[in-house]
Amino acid sequence: MISAALQALIDKGLFERIPATFSTFFFEQIKDWGTLFPAEHRYFERLFTLLDRLPQAEFDELFTGLRASELKMGVNEKNWPRRSFTLDQVDFLNRNAHYAEWRAGVAKIFSRLDPVLDADTARRGRPRFAAVISPAELPVGPDRLWKRLKGRRVSLAAPFDTAEHVMPLLALGEAAPYDRWIVQASDSWKAPAGVVSLNYEALEAYRKRLMDGVQNVVEKEQIRGPRELGVRLRKMKILPGEGAAASDAVLAEFTRAVLLAGNGTLLLNNTFVEWAAVQAVRRARPSMLVAGFGVRNKVKPFSSLLIFADQEKTNPIPAQVDTLGTYVDLEVFYPYIWQEFEKYAEYRRNTVFLFAAEGMDEAMLIAPADFTLPERAAGAQLTGALREWMRL
Amino acid sequence: MLSKRDFFKAAGLTVASRVAAEAFQPKDGERKVIVVTFGGGVRYAETFSPEGLANIPRLAALKPRGHFYRDCRNLGVLSHFNSTASIVTGNWQRVDDFGFEAPASPTVFEAFREQRAASAMDAWAICTNKSFSSIGSAGTPGANVVLPKQLLIEAVKDVVRRAEGMGVADRDNVQRRLESILQEGYEGVGWTIFKAGRKLDRHVQRTLTHALMEYINGPEAPTSGDELTFFIAREVMREFSPRLLLVNFWDMDVAHWGSYSLYLQAITRTDRLVGMLWDEIEQNPRYKGRTTVLVLPELGRDGDQNAANGFLNHRSGDASCRNMWLLALGAGAAAGETERPVAHVDVAATAAGLLGVKWTSQGKALKEIA
Repeated sequence: MISAALQALIDKGLFERIPATFSTFFFEQIKDWGTLFPAEHRYFERLFTLLDRLPQAEFDELFTGLRASELKMGVNEKNWPRRSFTLDQVDFLNRNAHYAEWRAGVAKIFSRLDPVLDADTARRGRPRFAAVISPAELPVGPDRLWKRLKGRRVSLAAPFDTAEHVMPLLALGEAAPYDRWIVQASDSWKAPAGVVSLNYEALEAYRKRLMDGVQNVVEKEQIRGPRELGVRLRKMKILPGEGAAASDAVLAEFTRAVLLAGNGTLLLNNTFVEWAAVQAVRRARPSMLVAGFGVRNKVKPFSSLLIFADQEKTNPIPAQVDTLGTYVDLEVFYPYIWQEFEKYAEYRRNTVFLFAAEGMDEAMLIAPADFTLPERAAGAQLTGALREWMRL
Repeated sequence: MLSKRDFFKAAGLTVASRVAAEAFQPKDGERKVIVVTFGGGVRYAETFSPEGLANIPRLAALKPRGHFYRDCRNLGVLSHFNSTASIVTGNWQRVDDFGFEAPASPTVFEAFREQRAASAMDAWAICTNKSFSSIGSAGTPGANVVLPKQLLIEAVKDVVRRAEGMGVADRDNVQRRLESILQEGYEGVGWTIFKAGRKLDRHVQRTLTHALMEYINGPEAPTSGDELTFFIAREVMREFSPRLLLVNFWDMDVAHWGSYSLYLQAITRTDRLVGMLWDEIEQNPRYKGRTTVLVLPELGRDGDQNAANGFLNHRSGDASCRNMWLLALGAGAAAGETERPVAHVDVAATAAGLLGVKWTSQGKALKEIA
């Protein structure tokens, strides 16, 4: 059941006035309203309220290019029913000779809408904090750990300890729903009450069931590619015994989507952490997020070819950690996470980013100028500065 | 239950029909073309950009000897099958992304065989992904398509299922299953190849088995599908000396797993294997001096700034996904560089021209290669 405000816009015929490809996509997005985050609810309401309030001439002009692309693409009532967005339509778009033009048309529309929505968001801005924590085992020092980031290295009086220096912040004050997150590779930190916690290791039972499911569907049912597979696996929801997310419809669907996104999240711990963090930022817009990476294992000869098989079962060779490979992987993931935050108005100019490694006596800060921390800080000073920044 | 034909298909090995026992007749002196793709997709950033050269030492060293096209564009659908199908047909393909449809226009393999009266052993495609089983033909006799990695996967699955001894940790176990699958496929499936000529059929089987043995017993732990692709390609070159060959490497698609280090390792491995393929050309008298090699990425991958999660995917259609390079080596490829944009569809027209095949397509022959 979608919000009354949005339903009123639908009843008013707004979605019929918008070009078919645009309206159908969003209609599909809001269809599962009960599994969307509050931030997504707010976004859709603001977006369609903005469209509804546009003067007719401006509204028509905004969609002129997209309408022209749809005509060229051959979009019509028959191949594009207004109320359902199917895989056939995804396929239609992807394989159409005018796809690039259509995509540019959509981008152009958002280049006009986003600044208006962003300005509104920025007006209601508040301080935010993100910590990206590396495991202690990485074979490099602080001089090489964050080479792709431009920030300020700070010296710590004592080795960095997430549990001591960061976790207490998450427990302070009262957290709004889905506003504080911990995404981690292993069960390193216990989440305070009210904090969303996703943990790759803890999801093992669910991951293995999904992997078996993928393998079965692909091998026994001759499925026609990943998209059809995605539809089949959409119903494989997390079960109560497989993780706390099962008791929350929004987090259950979020966890399922993260694990089945086709980005290696089922297979590699750090890919899970990166993608879950990116998706949390994109969708839930938390005010505090801690992402904790782990060490990836080496790929085993032969059995690694069986992508969705349990490597521990299929290969008797003991798993070996790949610390150097992990370092190279994370070097790319740090900026991917940071830049995801920076895409959204909620985070620009008011977010403190802390990049740290367990046990290391240096960290990297990317922060607004008014966040102050001495060049050499004690752990308590770091925590205090963050607490002050977050006004907790 | 699988039919024998299904079983053979599952093993990933398909060989075009119309094979005659006496068909293999090396035609020394004639021009040969080998198209090598960095399948799975690789970005400029990790290859021929200044920072990327460290990942491709062999290609970087070969580049001054060949003709380098700085701007080779994939303007089609950014899926694997459509990208490679565009390369071999010369027309942008918009068919099923997963190979459930053949290319929508004739492949250069078919035109070559028809116009040059080339035998079934004269055109091969050594590929990786199962969906590529139909890459060799749009409907008429085209290339033999061999999918070594699929064969390897079947063998590994079988070893795991049997759970004997050290399982996949024992190379002999894997080798036995590889050979067994190959043998069962050829001896039992009753294909056209079997009916057409048992003698040649055994020749093919022996050739592929030999490649498997070299792979399994190589000096390094055989972990890569691409290494097997190389060994099979080399053995096919040594035994059948095809005039038109597509070698589609694939390991770098591991990028989808989200491990940048594994992606870089795969690129470096493919670079090494392309170098070894070039060494084979230089040492094999049936190829040396008469072979043009066209090396290019099948597609790129999303840029680091992209919302689709950077190198992990190839969905965005941004420049990092579409703009790549092409390196022409060997006969007819004068040393030099071209800035002018060229396209993936130009490859088929170029190959056709070199092989004396009359050809029309969206793509045009690259004039710098004669």
